[in-house]
Amino acid sequence: MANPLTLYVPIKQDAVSQAAAQLAYQNFVKSVTSGLDESGIVHYARVALIPNASGQGTYAILLITTFDGPMNPYLGFFWKNPGTQQAFAGIAAIALTPPNPPVKDLTGFENFINKNNLSKSASPGKPGDLYEAYTKTVKEITSTAKELVLPKQSV
Amino acid sequence: MTKTNNNSIPDKSNIQGMILRGFTHPYSCHLIFQFNDKPGAKNFIKSIFPYIQSAESWGDAKPDIMLNIGLTYSGIKATSDLSETYLEYFPNSFIEGPTSAGSQGSLNDWGVSDPSGWAFGNDTDEQHVDCIVHTYAMTDETRALIVSIVSDAAKANGLTEFLPIDNGTKRLEEYALMPRNFIHFAYLDGIDQPDLTWNDPADPNDTGDLRNFLIGYPLSDSGPGPTGDNPAGDFAKDGCYNAFRMLYQDVKVFDEFLIANAPKAPKEIQQTPEYAQEWIAAKLNGRWRNGSPLELSPNAPDVATSHATDFGYKGDTTGMKCPFAAHTRVGNPRDEVLNSSEPSPVPRLIRRGMAYGAPPTLKSYDGERGLIGLFLCGSIATQFELLYSWMNTTNFASTFTSQQGQDGLIANRDTPGADRSFNIPTADGSITIDSLPHFVITRGTAYCLLPSISTLKSIAG
Ligand code: HEM
Repeated sequence: MANPLTLYVPIKQDAVSQAAAQLAYQNFVKSVTSGLDESGIVHYARVALIPNASGQGTYAILLITTFDGPMNPYLGFFWKNPGTQQAFAGIAAIALTPPNPPVKDLTGFENFINKNNLSKSASPGKPGDLYEAYTKTVKEITSTAKELVLPKQSV
Repeated sequence: MTKTNNNSIPDKSNIQGMILRGFTHPYSCHLIFQFNDKPGAKNFIKSIFPYIQSAESWGDAKPDIMLNIGLTYSGIKATSDLSETYLEYFPNSFIEGPTSAGSQGSLNDWGVSDPSGWAFGNDTDEQHVDCIVHTYAMTDETRALIVSIVSDAAKANGLTEFLPIDNGTKRLEEYALMPRNFIHFAYLDGIDQPDLTWNDPADPNDTGDLRNFLIGYPLSDSGPGPTGDNPAGDFAKDGCYNAFRMLYQDVKVFDEFLIANAPKAPKEIQQTPEYAQEWIAAKLNGRWRNGSPLELSPNAPDVATSHATDFGYKGDTTGMKCPFAAHTRVGNPRDEVLNSSEPSPVPRLIRRGMAYGAPPTLKSYDGERGLIGLFLCGSIATQFELLYSWMNTTNFASTFTSQQGQDGLIANRDTPGADRSFNIPTADGSITIDSLPHFVITRGTAYCLLPSISTLKSIAG
């Protein structure tokens, strides 16, 4: 079963934080690709900058992913990977409300992600908020894709 | 991150006993409480404090009665002087508890195990648990004595007690007449435990290194949490988490399953119907009922291997000896190659559980019975919940033909998308069992911290 993460973090308005948000946005795909590839459980991950109502500058960072299985047991993997750690720690560093506890270790990371997650995974007795068009896992999809691709290449 | 004292040897007299050793007292009773107010809660801990057993050796003087205490997050909130700021330093899985969407992503208590039907531990005001007292005794009389000491103290201090057996009338008690270490479904349990060691220097590759279980000596910045020199870190130091689960075992469904599927076993196994049933039971678990691992004794149980723990799965990449989804192969895949998202080496759990309820009689399966599950770990999310999630969805290694398969014994079969089939490879081809039933149903859960003795003393005042 896939689960959603919608990390919504309002950020500080000073020039340094605003510039850091732009940088995090521009570097996002580059910094997370190898970690997410290696994990083999993330379907899609995207980041967006939510503008201030005035149209000037960024109000919040929004990071949306859909992944296979539960989230918390796997946060250790994303914390250990330098690219994904950097991406998340970068967002935590410019958060308007400083994370408590600080995002300096896995516990801080786990708590920061959970506190700022707007999504609700489906759980017994409680409906979730994710629509799924298919139930295949990333592993299943990528292995089928390889099977489909290989014969073509050998022609 | 602070890594102070990473190498200073923990003081056994400050650690609750069950963390370092399994108690062998034949009688145990697990009393589950909700506090009423802070003074009552503190006074309750004070009243039972003298009976706490530490991890120090008792030499020849084995205590006749003793206890250990667990506090949930709400129990800590109710009894400690930690401010909101430092309460938030506990890991999210512990704070939010077992019914949270985060934890349920791993536990998957769907359908028959839905938390709304639990006897304790769901997130309603009436059902939330603050404290569990694990009492141990040498005789039936002294069991009654220690239980009354605890329950009298609870009454005197306004605590509400949960009685999870027989519609709220009985306590959760170990079934003392069970042969030593056997559990329902007639398996030997408690064989393979992490070899708890204090390595000097610390060894991040040794999953038995005590630092993986005991809070306050982190091997890395992955915990266990809360970490660091702060009030929360001090409060939790020398403690360990206990994921406490009351798991009903449906022996009738299990026995009928073995009888119904035994004829599928290969011809050479069909010497007697009983032997074929034993074979199916072994394939579901990965060990024969006497304890022999299938990897070492693939064809028959053997007393010589019944307690063996030194083996791996590398030589069995087809599952011909032990099916991939056998309970013990999922709970500890040992040297198997796992997906890159999985930790290496595989995390371990300290299991201190025991059976409750009498086994069925020849005439009737009526009655409540199962496992009092005590799963001790330094990280609920990355140890206990990780392994639980593997049991409910076997997507942790590419050896599984179905990434949505389940472990043979305990998985929740109503997990959305679950593939309930079970595959037993044999020399004559695979035997497929189309749909595994619910052998195990959750009756209640609480995530507790087993705090250090000095922390409990500070609560007692
Ligand atoms: C009623 C429920 C359960 C039953 C009947 C059961 C039964 C067993 C049995 C018979 C063994 C083999 C004995 C041994 O290796 O010590 C075992 C091992 C084990 N079980 Fe369970 N179990 C249950 C619940 C759980 C749960 C909830 C977990 C945790 C997620 C778990 C994790 C393990 C682990 C880690 C091992 C050791 C595997 C190894 O190191 O080889 N079990 N269990």
